Amino acid sequence: MQRTTHRRRLLARPVVVSLAAAVALTATSCAKSEDDTSSDTKSSAAADAAQKVASPAPGGKACTVDAYGGAKLDLENATVGFSQSEKEANPFRIAETQSIKDEAKKRGVKLLTANAQSQFSKQISDVQDLLAKGADLLVIAPLNSDGWDPVLQAAAAKKVPIVTIDRKINATACKDYVSFIASDFVEQGRRAADQMIEATGGKGEVAILLGSAGNNVTTERTKGFKDRIAEKAPDLKVVFEQTGDFAREKGQQVTEQLIQSKPGIKGIYAENDEMGLGAVAALKGAGKKAGDVEIVTVDGTRNAVQGIVDGWISGVVESNPRFGPLAFQTLDTFTKGESVAQDIVIEDGAYTSGNAKSGIGKAY
Amino acid sequence: MAPPAEVLAVRGLSKTFPGVRALDDVDLTLHAGEIHALIGENGAGKSTLIKLLTGVYRPDAGEIVFQGRKVSFATPLEAQKAGISTIYQEVNLIPLLSVARNLFLGREPRNRFGLLDMGRMNREAEQTLSTYGVRVDVRRPLRTLGVGAQQMVALARAVATEARVVVMDEPTSSLEPREVETLFSVIRGLRDAGIAVVYVSHRLDELYAVCSTVTVLRDGRRVHRGRLADLDRLSLVSTMLGRDLGEVREEGLTKFTGEHGAADAEPVLTASDLTVPHKLHGVSLSIRPGEVVGLGGLLGSGRTETAKTIAGALPARSGGVTVAGVPLRAGSTPAAIRAGISLLPEDRKSEGIVPGLSVRENIALAALPRLSRFGLVSEARVDSVVDTFIERLRIKASSPHQKVGELSGGNQQKVLLARWLAMNPKVLLLDEPTRGIDVGAKAEVQKLVDELAADGLGVLLISSDLEELIEGSDRVVVLKDGAVVGELTGDDVTEDKLMRTIAGNDPARDAGKEAAVDG
Amino acid sequence: MAEAALRTAPLDRTRLVQWLQTYGVYAGVAALLVVNTVITPRFLTTENFRTQAVQVAPVIIVALGMALVIGTEGVDLSVGAVMALAASVTALYLGYGLLPSLLVVALFAAGVGLANGALVAFVGVQPIVATLALMVGGRGLALVLLPQLKDLRNPSLASLGSGDVLGVPYLILIAAALALLVAFVVRRTTFGRQLLAIGDSRPAAQLAGLPVRPVLIIVYVVCALLAAVAGVLATARLQASDPTSLGNLMELSAITAVVVGGTPLTGGRVNIGGTVAGAVLIQLLTATLIKHDLPPSWTQIAQAIVIVAAVYAARGRGKR
Repeated sequence: MQRTTHRRRLLARPVVVSLAAAVALTATSCAKSEDDTSSDTKSSAAADAAQKVASPAPGGKACTVDAYGGAKLDLENATVGFSQSEKEANPFRIAETQSIKDEAKKRGVKLLTANAQSQFSKQISDVQDLLAKGADLLVIAPLNSDGWDPVLQAAAAKKVPIVTIDRKINATACKDYVSFIASDFVEQGRRAADQMIEATGGKGEVAILLGSAGNNVTTERTKGFKDRIAEKAPDLKVVFEQTGDFAREKGQQVTEQLIQSKPGIKGIYAENDEMGLGAVAALKGAGKKAGDVEIVTVDGTRNAVQGIVDGWISGVVESNPRFGPLAFQTLDTFTKGESVAQDIVIEDGAYTSGNAKSGIGKAY
Repeated sequence: MAPPAEVLAVRGLSKTFPGVRALDDVDLTLHAGEIHALIGENGAGKSTLIKLLTGVYRPDAGEIVFQGRKVSFATPLEAQKAGISTIYQEVNLIPLLSVARNLFLGREPRNRFGLLDMGRMNREAEQTLSTYGVRVDVRRPLRTLGVGAQQMVALARAVATEARVVVMDEPTSSLEPREVETLFSVIRGLRDAGIAVVYVSHRLDELYAVCSTVTVLRDGRRVHRGRLADLDRLSLVSTMLGRDLGEVREEGLTKFTGEHGAADAEPVLTASDLTVPHKLHGVSLSIRPGEVVGLGGLLGSGRTETAKTIAGALPARSGGVTVAGVPLRAGSTPAAIRAGISLLPEDRKSEGIVPGLSVRENIALAALPRLSRFGLVSEARVDSVVDTFIERLRIKASSPHQKVGELSGGNQQKVLLARWLAMNPKVLLLDEPTRGIDVGAKAEVQKLVDELAADGLGVLLISSDLEELIEGSDRVVVLKDGAVVGELTGDDVTEDKLMRTIAGNDPARDAGKEAAVDG
Repeated sequence: MAEAALRTAPLDRTRLVQWLQTYGVYAGVAALLVVNTVITPRFLTTENFRTQAVQVAPVIIVALGMALVIGTEGVDLSVGAVMALAASVTALYLGYGLLPSLLVVALFAAGVGLANGALVAFVGVQPIVATLALMVGGRGLALVLLPQLKDLRNPSLASLGSGDVLGVPYLILIAAALALLVAFVVRRTTFGRQLLAIGDSRPAAQLAGLPVRPVLIIVYVVCALLAAVAGVLATARLQASDPTSLGNLMELSAITAVVVGGTPLTGGRVNIGGTVAGAVLIQLLTATLIKHDLPPSWTQIAQAIVIVAAVYAARGRGKR
């Protein structure tokens, strides 16, 4: 009895899988979403949104190919491997991967890509695959900070320089990897605070929609915001801090509770755009008008910037996902034998009512 | 030559469960190299005794002396370590591990690094098993083996763990005849190695084939102990069932009134050649309207399986059922019910009542579609049906809304009868309808069965209570090991003849008649 | 005095537990209402009640289906995934109009329910395993169909999410209507009674000739359809389809509502009123903690306490 059911179960699995695949195919073949006519052309906007180094870090440590222990080579003839951490299901990751691809194309460099689908073990084997396929240089967007030893050893054995983007790995710069390029999340929090102070006039009560608990982005964006408020606008009080898990629906629900219990709230700082847009939905649902509550968000997605144009959002601090130009420039400089900084902070833009309309093409 | 040593002595063992004295002052002695049959009907106390021996239960009174020392096992593992192994019907090994791993579970050979020495394990496993006539790839998972081979592995394991006593509970229930032969030779091998075997089975042929001594339990007491050769089959059966041979019994101890049904009417139900692997081997029977046909036989003879197969609850490999001449779709309970077959299952508590639902819902359960319109239950119609049957069957409940689980056994049984009578059945299959219910309710149920038959229903009555079977039935079909071995009609429906048929002696020859039975 | 109190303690406790079993969840809701009236400013306002009701509506709708499944001694872990699937399918087919897209959503949800039900009823896979497969697969499919959040501007969808009749939002009306419908089905239909019998004792139901497999399949299909309704309503309210995060952990919220509401996991009983109250209880609890700006971890701890209390009260009520 037991055996027969087991066999049936084994049999059922491939059937279910192939059925699901068939469903996915047929479902998309005749789908018609609202704006199929105006097909998306988001990625093409990337060209003019190239980034700069925010802090050339004069006091920061630098790294050269001699110190790292590799050989000079010509980037144009090299193969670059790119390992993406999360599946490209949110604007940030999509823009990040696209930017790497665009820059490789622009420079005529051969690019190999892999996506770990949010599984760390997959990312490790992805990178090992890239090395095996002959990548001379690596750009990695790490999913975790730890656990990179096997990859680093393999790369070191082949003398392959590594640049990590958007998240640091716990290893020695200029020995295990060359440089780390990322935004400064604390700084993003400070700049959001500046925008909030300006929007509210530095007085009143504000709320924070926190990101997911236990996430360094959440802690750093919160720290920067609070520090700057304490320092520059002591009359601005943070009276409400609840998590919206970086998700729009959760942001909406928490904001609904907030405006019920604290109708006098003057500003909401959302630690990402999605929660900010959720807050906008909540305000609309409660019959508020644009501008009643000042909303400042971080990320710089197109929807949020559109929110500024519509008047619902006061300001958006950008968290720049376009690492392509900077990553390749770093690799280029490095492989030529010149010195590059070990920690490179990329410049994040900002959107306010002044530049939202013109800058929306730049948003991702 | 000294007599074989006493390995196990059980004295005055008793065990009481709430409301039941499961075992009452039972003695049992086993010698090295003895194959001892332990037999008894349902509720006789066999499994309680085994569980006391193997540390599953603790006795209330009495002592177990094992190899000269008084013992008290806290767990089956302890008993096993001491040297008492049990082979259950369902093999209790780990199906996903390899045959060799199972054989050496808990005493794996290690190499000098303290790691499993797989090579040695596999070699030794192969060697050991070949002495049991099992030649398989020992690296395969256990579950890929047939049941018989799995049982051999369990046995080999028991012997390898230096068991002095091996308890086998119905070891052949799922074996093929060829496998049974192998098992027997292994058991004889154990005997020759000086191991004592307790052999539990309902198959008389097997007992006589391998066992030398026997203990018969009945109602928690030991009623017989001795050499098996000194007890013929008939005496064995009568001891087991607690009936003296040739004793003329006073009629009227039950509420049954006797004959009904026209002998020449067309059968309302015929079952032909029902075959279920390991359970039924070509059972055929027929029931005429108004007739009560008894189904006799020992526990495990296939009575319950016959009823379940007719009711579509057990898929038959071959054979068919017709109701009033119309063939029934096999293996479908709803189809059988629609055709007019109702089964009162043996296991009332887990297969009959729905304990959490009320008396009312339980009675209406099967008839719901009939009591509904467009899927909506008509409460008025349900009420009228429920009220009718509560009154007619005199069901005692605080209200129709009382949970059935809270009722007494007898009232639960009446609720089930009501559920089926509400369906206006043509055939009632009653599997142990009066087991575990009090005397008063028992009489009421018996009377009711009589009345129903008088109303023209065909009834199949299964009962371990011989009186009930004899007095209630117009005809008794006797099963043994899943096959019909005889049919008693008319004046032949007596306890004496029934027991002879069950025992496998030819009752016709004993009675000096010519009718041939058995197959 | 002390002695007397001690002696009566066990009796009082049994009675307290019995009382909690039946009325605990309602008492909890009442207590939270009273406490909030005192300590939370602007609690007794129409807007506040509307907010809480609108937020809890999708949870209630999912919990109704979950209660039916739990009534058959099963569980459906795929409800959150079905919500996500509903969201992405809505977005994908909204070009044809709201109604056609809802029909396609219903088809997809019924497909998931059918797969769940068939695995449970015909293949004999344990419900937790079968629906776990669909939970992973369903969300995967949702993300394949719509890889990222998409804003929706369909006016009918928008009014479904934020419109109202005489000040009562559609969401609340739909949730209430569905709750009444499901309660009616459980109490008054053949299907409902067969469902309970199957959940209480499947062997007995089988021998009584009940259509066990069809009933199980229908239950899982209904559960998936209800989850899809919740998914569409949440999408309508957000005016965006977010298959990545919509319905995350919804299976746990729904199971919590059902269990807190007094439906035993052992099957054979379905308490719809309690389920609704259970969802409301968790909603009010969360709202109280958020409104008073207590750390988010407190919400989780408070929910855990409520679940433990519910399980404690349910002890001895189940079959074992």
